[in-house]
Amino acid sequence: MTMSVIMFWIFALMAVVGAGLVAFLPRLVNSAFALVLALIGVAGLYWTLGADFIGTTQILIYVGGVTVLLLYAVMLTPKESTRVPWIRFLPAGVLTAAIGYLLITAFNGVLLAFDTIRGVDLTAPVPTADQIGNAFLDKDAYLLPFELASVLLLIVVVGAVFIARRKKEV
Amino acid sequence: MEWSFTPDSLSGYLIVSGIMFLFGILTILTRRNAIYILLGVELILNAAGLNFVAFSRFGNLGVDGHIFAVFIIILAASEAAVALAIILQIFNSYGTIDLNETNLMKR
Repeated sequence: MTMSVIMFWIFALMAVVGAGLVAFLPRLVNSAFALVLALIGVAGLYWTLGADFIGTTQILIYVGGVTVLLLYAVMLTPKESTRVPWIRFLPAGVLTAAIGYLLITAFNGVLLAFDTIRGVDLTAPVPTADQIGNAFLDKDAYLLPFELASVLLLIVVVGAVFIARRKKEV
Repeated sequence: MEWSFTPDSLSGYLIVSGIMFLFGILTILTRRNAIYILLGVELILNAAGLNFVAFSRFGNLGVDGHIFAVFIIILAASEAAVALAIILQIFNSYGTIDLNETNLMKR
């Protein structure tokens, strides 16, 4: 049992347990903090995949930004009862199980197809930040989506402020 | 490739992301609170991003999957900001964020 296997198990358990707590905890604040656990687990899984830049971005934006926004919304809205009556889990559970069966079938096919095109060196991960930056600013690669994303972020900032401002009269 | 739960196989990451996706679906289906549905959407988007990076690594595709994961994070942050602004506005005009009782955008 090497170090990478132990790390993978820890982060996978964090992600899965956090997601399960989001689905089953009765109170909204607790679920929001359980989401933090799941997001940190996913960031760790990115690191075990050798994606150092994505894992750090995940921590910065999700754990640092989106979670704070969510907690603000939790604090600004009333404490309503969010306990789920167990009868509601029956149809939802059936539908979720059906989707899960489809997922297993699809992943089975994908794994069979992947048998032939595997062949990556898994021993030595390299830093990826420079490759990602070059790909973003290369006009033959991802320059246009990158610029569109910056326009989208500007629109989102202006739009969120416009929507959330307090109106004088309704 | 066999199913296994180790960091040097694709299937381990597929299992984790599949379970996260299903918990996100279950959250969306069972809850009536708007913020809870946003939490479920975040779980689903994270599962998708994890799959992109895992396929990029085990398919030997360079950093293409990483770039898609960056776009997913950008879109998820935007979506959270706008959706929470809308939720606050809904709470200001309805006094509740239970989605069974808020079926009008304006009244």
